[in-house]
Amino acid sequence: MSVALDVRNLFVLFGGTSREEPARTSISRFMFEDSTIDEELTRLSGYHVGLIDLSFAVDSGECLAVLGVSGSGKSSLLRTLAGLQPTIRGTVIVNGADVSSRPPERRSVVYLHQEPVLFPHLSVLENVAFPMIVRGIAKKEAMHRAIEWLQRLQVGSVMGFFPESLSGGQRHRVALARALCADPAVLLLDEPLASLDPAVRRDVREALQETRAASGAAMVLVTHDLDDALAVATHIASIEQFGQLSTPALSADILEQPPSLETARVLGVYAEIDGEVCASPSGNLFRWIGGAVPAGNVEIGRAVACVRSHEVQLHRGNQLNAPALTVTSLREGARDAVLGVRNALGEEASLRIGSGTSVGISEVVQVTLRHARIFPSHPS
Amino acid sequence: MTFTRTPIARSLLLLALALFALAPLMMLIATSLARGWFYPVVLPGGMDGSAWRDLFTDTAHRSALVNSLMLGVSTSLTATTCALPLGRAAAGSTRVVRRAVALLAFTAVALPPVVLGVGLQLTVLTLGLGGTLFGVFLAHLVPALGYLTLVFLGVFTRWDRRLEEAAATLGATGRMRWRLVLLPLLRRPIAEALALGFLVSWAQVALTLLVGGGAVRTLPLDVLAMLQSGQDQRAAAGALALTIPALIVLGASRIAARNTSAVVA
Repeated sequence: MSVALDVRNLFVLFGGTSREEPARTSISRFMFEDSTIDEELTRLSGYHVGLIDLSFAVDSGECLAVLGVSGSGKSSLLRTLAGLQPTIRGTVIVNGADVSSRPPERRSVVYLHQEPVLFPHLSVLENVAFPMIVRGIAKKEAMHRAIEWLQRLQVGSVMGFFPESLSGGQRHRVALARALCADPAVLLLDEPLASLDPAVRRDVREALQETRAASGAAMVLVTHDLDDALAVATHIASIEQFGQLSTPALSADILEQPPSLETARVLGVYAEIDGEVCASPSGNLFRWIGGAVPAGNVEIGRAVACVRSHEVQLHRGNQLNAPALTVTSLREGARDAVLGVRNALGEEASLRIGSGTSVGISEVVQVTLRHARIFPSHPS
Repeated sequence: MTFTRTPIARSLLLLALALFALAPLMMLIATSLARGWFYPVVLPGGMDGSAWRDLFTDTAHRSALVNSLMLGVSTSLTATTCALPLGRAAAGSTRVVRRAVALLAFTAVALPPVVLGVGLQLTVLTLGLGGTLFGVFLAHLVPALGYLTLVFLGVFTRWDRRLEEAAATLGATGRMRWRLVLLPLLRRPIAEALALGFLVSWAQVALTLLVGGGAVRTLPLDVLAMLQSGQDQRAAAGALALTIPALIVLGASRIAARNTSAVVA
């Protein structure tokens, strides 16, 4: 597989003087001592630097999911890659060609908005044929290929309809078919599954999986939902504090060992347990109110352990050589429950445990952590 | 407090409204066809179509009609061509720019015609265009541009820019985006703008009189002149003739607007 999208040292802007929604977080221009950035920002009145020095690559046929909280700059990243907003620094290389200064129509990058944007005055078939028509492909041939893509994405039956009469899932599938008809090197997906009801969400997820399998395009999916990322992407990265992007990791590995505490927080599936890494004859140990676990090479000092619900084992009574903890609270959720515990000194911790675990308030338990990812604490 | 509307009350209201709207028109039709109908005579002495015949055969009237049509068409086309990009640019700008453009456009519309007319007369005279058809065209352009800029500012403030973004990333160049996305979706507001621009010029009296200085004759000026000289029958026919192109333009704009999406409606 070849690298289809190669992003080097890219700075992404927020805001601007247009009617775009102002960014909720931004990095002050005064953080930069580099005068060229300052001059560019002055020229682009109203913009702020949002994401700094991003570098990543996506191979053809692969999908990178970028996770981040709302307002972290996910959409701005995609808009910059698509050429829909200005770039002050960095390079976007598509199939080996630097497209940083090219207009959107000459980048071979298709950007799909969160809500599918279909042309309301064109039928579904005309919508899907649009990218081929603008490339000068004969109408008959364009229509033929559009029908093929519509059928592949299982929306061939609505080709004569107008967009206003389509359901949410059909609109997404038609938008995907149209994007694929453009034969893009890179497909950018801006939270395509957000604000969809569960049934349509499943449908669109399937369509995205089919799209990834059917097209040779490199895909970048931005989302705040880990499940969406895991369902569609081959690699996952997250937008961290101060506008940086974590190193992309394989989707299969990222839950096992997230690259940083920020990424773990964005993934949102771990309980964070405060503690301290101490030296011991058998290696560094992470000590918390419920005991100790190996800390590997994590430096000595305050630290945080990230633990998933299935990695926590509760023991009733005093079976282990571990501190006894009293259950202070239990909050049940759909997938797991949050358990509050306190030790004899009054120190508290929160754990995620499997939903439906039978444990009562004031009950005394001991806790074993089967696996924990330890990260040094740093001021947030 | 509750209001109840009975079918009779509703019918009476409708009838009153119809009378208010149609009575002047009916009176014009009757007057234009009546012979020797003067106050306090209740009914005309007879009917004839001489006023209508004169209107289209008299060379002076024909010339006024042609002037009115030329002014209406050129004002409409020019104002629409200028107001569309102006409204689009303003809508995409900062709030301050948007408000400034809206205020300027509204000023051109809201100023009393005499104030606007005197100001324009002085300007056009300075340019050496007083009493010329081109000078009158420039004068008509000012309120028309004001109206149409407000129209397109409203259209583009609600315009979904994502449509153009989608077209761009799908490979459409700027020109293609205009041809394949913008213009088809803007067909309705463009048709309405053309109609409005035409009507602003077509019905203009004060600006034509002040800037044209009597040298440029248009149909509304002719109608006024006939009324002042007591030619009621011909004035009525002229006034009715003034409504014909207006109705045609409105009808045409409705037809042109058919099947246009509600994106900007």
